Amino acid sequence: MRLLWILLTLTFSSIVAAAEVQVTVVEPYADMHTGPASEYPAFHAVERGEKITVISSHTGWYKVRTAKGVEGWIPGNALAKTILQDDKTFPIEDKDFDAFQQRLLEFSVLAGRIDNTNALSVNAAWLVTSNIAAEVSFTQALGDFSENRLWLVRLQHTAFPEWRLSPYFTIGAGQIQTTPTATLVQSGAETRTNDLLEVGVGARYYLIKQFSVRLEYKRLTALTEREAFEELNQWQLGFSVFF
Amino acid sequence: MATRLFRLFLTGGLLASGVVFSAATLAQSNDVLIEPELDRDVVTEADINSNDFEFGAFAGMVSIEDFSSSAVYGLTLGYHVTENLFVEVQGGTSEAGETSFEKLSGGAPLLTDDERDYQFYDLSVGYNFNGEIFFSDGTTFNTDFYLQLGGGSTSFGGDNKFTLSLGAGYRVLVTDHIALRLDVRDRIFSSELTGEKKDTHNLQYTLGATFFF
Repeated sequence: MRLLWILLTLTFSSIVAAAEVQVTVVEPYADMHTGPASEYPAFHAVERGEKITVISSHTGWYKVRTAKGVEGWIPGNALAKTILQDDKTFPIEDKDFDAFQQRLLEFSVLAGRIDNTNALSVNAAWLVTSNIAAEVSFTQALGDFSENRLWLVRLQHTAFPEWRLSPYFTIGAGQIQTTPTATLVQSGAETRTNDLLEVGVGARYYLIKQFSVRLEYKRLTALTEREAFEELNQWQLGFSVFF
Repeated sequence: MATRLFRLFLTGGLLASGVVFSAATLAQSNDVLIEPELDRDVVTEADINSNDFEFGAFAGMVSIEDFSSSAVYGLTLGYHVTENLFVEVQGGTSEAGETSFEKLSGGAPLLTDDERDYQFYDLSVGYNFNGEIFFSDGTTFNTDFYLQLGGGSTSFGGDNKFTLSLGAGYRVLVTDHIALRLDVRDRIFSSELTGEKKDTHNLQYTLGATFFF
């Protein structure tokens, strides 16, 4: 409930803080669409020298209002090319491969298999340098006989961050918690937690805007109290969004 | 567990805001030293309000296979990456009814009350087909028809089950900030509660309201 209030307060303050920005068109014209996507029809055009107000943005589209009060949407790239304000270029951060290489934070969602069970992971990474990232991940693997929860902290090394398709290596440590299914609990099985080590390789491909995909293989070693360590193989495919 | 995570999250947030604040004051003091006549009217993209996140609540009916239909409600948080692609986290809760067998036989129940709690979460990728709806000559709303594919977990009958989630929905943007949604979801997970193991389809119909920020 408190989290909800914090969320609501944040949203409200972001609306209140929003400023409208006055800009002037310098290119011959720019098309205005009825909605924030290329599928929406262009219904109006703004001309060179016209003063327009930028109200808000949605996934790379900007809502603008003309002096006559006509409201519509212009794509960010058109706005960046055509509009200056106080002789300065309208500063639109293009989310492209250059921005991707300079990213600081990245969130990923991955799906795959740990041995014979389906596994889902969420990761958050902080890029310390363009080569090295620190990542935390939480994985839930649901099998027929048990439910596994894994949390790991890892270092990720990307040797060639300037490549669009780029390999990386990881080492990490964490814990695995194994809970037997309800039918097994009735026969006396118990939840256990073990330390976990991982080594992995993977590849990342920059797709579009803030999106990249990654495919990785990891070898997990659970340090159990039994004589042999438990070795697990994890394959996963997922996508990342960067900020 | 949840409160511990929440505390960790808050501490992390506090630390992060501290770093940002000190970085900001540092940057400001540098600016003042080097360039005292700084132009305060510089526009940055941050000055413009962006509405790429979508937060909302939904309520409706879920038909839990073999365990009749019940009311379901939950929350969603989404992020729109491009004009077509979006990602979403959804979580919700319901309580399963009785199987026909339990009702007819009047015998011992299959599940305890706790085991009838039906809770789920999933992470999904969605694709928007943008459109418009015309109520009258002068009243037009932007709309999206969307398809979603995701995976997650469902807690039912005392166990957590890996769940595949397929969805389709329709979103009407009443304003730039507020949308109404109609969603249909099928959550597929394997269950052996009625004896043999099988894939169960749990269809969910919900109405929701979301807020873009």
